[in-house]
Amino acid sequence: MKLSARIKPWLLLTPALLFLLLPLYGLWSAFRLSVYPDGKLTGQVYVRLFSHSDFLLSFLYSLWVAAASTFLSLLIGWFFTRAFVPMLERTGGRLTVWLPMVFPHFVWAYLVLLLFQEGGLVSGLLPGNRAYANDPEGIGIILTYMGKEIPFVILMLLPVYLTRNRLYDDLTETLGGSWFSKIRDAELPFVTPVLIETGIIIFAFTFGAYEVPALVGATFPEMLSILTFDWFYSGDWSERPLAFAAMVFLTTVIGVISLLLFHFINKMRRNITEGL
Amino acid sequence: MKKILFWIIVMLFIISPVGILILQSFTSPGSWTEFSLYGWRGLFETARLLEATGTSLIIGFFVTVINIAVGMSAGKALALYTFQGKTAVDTLFVMPLLVPILAITFGVHIAMIRIGLADTALGVILIHLVPTAPYSIRIFRNGYVSLGRRMQEQAETLGASAGRTFFDIELPLLKPSVQSVIFLTFVISLSQYVITSIIGGGTVVTLAMVYFPFLDSADTTLIAAFSIWFAVLPLLFYITAGAAFRLLPYPRKSGRRELF
Repeated sequence: MKLSARIKPWLLLTPALLFLLLPLYGLWSAFRLSVYPDGKLTGQVYVRLFSHSDFLLSFLYSLWVAAASTFLSLLIGWFFTRAFVPMLERTGGRLTVWLPMVFPHFVWAYLVLLLFQEGGLVSGLLPGNRAYANDPEGIGIILTYMGKEIPFVILMLLPVYLTRNRLYDDLTETLGGSWFSKIRDAELPFVTPVLIETGIIIFAFTFGAYEVPALVGATFPEMLSILTFDWFYSGDWSERPLAFAAMVFLTTVIGVISLLLFHFINKMRRNITEGL
Repeated sequence: MKKILFWIIVMLFIISPVGILILQSFTSPGSWTEFSLYGWRGLFETARLLEATGTSLIIGFFVTVINIAVGMSAGKALALYTFQGKTAVDTLFVMPLLVPILAITFGVHIAMIRIGLADTALGVILIHLVPTAPYSIRIFRNGYVSLGRRMQEQAETLGASAGRTFFDIELPLLKPSVQSVIFLTFVISLSQYVITSIIGGGTVVTLAMVYFPFLDSADTTLIAAFSIWFAVLPLLFYITAGAAFRLLPYPRKSGRRELF
């Protein structure tokens, strides 16, 4: 009985652990192919990668697009949620706000093209008549991601606002707290862990996703995913190891950032349960 | 006042963009007012479209079934049991969402070629698990947390078998989680272009594979209909799955209160 109780959770976890083999193997294999490009262990590929001017530019450009998309989606999604909890509590309001999630990213990218490209439906109305799709600043990509990710942020945050203990609001108010201190003391401690977790997921996704920049990105500069995809399928195979190395490097960067932030969340969760 | 502001924002940023697509799909090219089925007729006359819809449905179906199995069992373990290494397992299950999907797909590609999974629907189903399963595990985990242990313990005390407990208690009470997983998994599977194209190698033609090159054509009416089709399919899939759920032999006699 005792033994079976100890084995039971692991039996239940077996299918999921088997599934994990796939991404783990993929990542390991990409790493192996980046350090053993010709069957010999070498760091040569990474030296080539970091001295590649296209790579550095693409990396920084992707960092900018991912950071801006994440930050704006979180900020707008958060303020929208906290401002409109009563409307979001109703099924109709909630489902309408979540509607963009039904469409694939590339459909939303097409919408941005339709509205913001040169001669698009909205770009003609904007001052200066300029296009915000296929633009070198990446505004088209950021707009697409915001359209898709703000509903996702609302999806993740809404449960927090629906189940949150509202006595903290009254407490700050009774103690004469301002609008700002109400957010800081009564909301932020509960919202921050969810915001950070959601932010990491969006950041990791937008940093490496292919579909949206392939449609609304500029020809120059290119997002990292586009560049590595071209390397992966380049005719002469000599650039394939670069594709593996670039993706391994990107994974490392996202991994380090997530670890630091998860550490921060855990510390905060401890403060909430033990400190307050 | 706030309500008005809410609907203005929703109208401006959600309803009107989607509305434009719907309107465009039902009007003749170049006109906003003249009703026409040109776009939809053109869409269904594209032979590859129906074929690709079938392929997407089959792939989405299997991805969803595997997601329910994997997510339900892992979610239950994480919600109702304490065991060593739980935090580590928990973190590992988020990992597939944080690693760029291209890194995983590039890495898996050669192995898939070697074992004959490249260019097959099975290979595509497997790679579609990567961006979906982490969400399913999470949804079922939350479902089991709010379900708690008590109902199951009661059934066990009354002498019900594990299977009976599952079909009579867990499955009906987890219906909302099952529905969320079905919907989300299918939508995500339908949205995968680049990983389908790498692993499917152009042989497995899903809807996304047809849509992408379509965008180069200037036929906005046709593209609008195609775009709407992407939202219609998950809804159809969801409704069908809901109907299938109703076929399960749960007591629905009048006079007896239903659980939901």
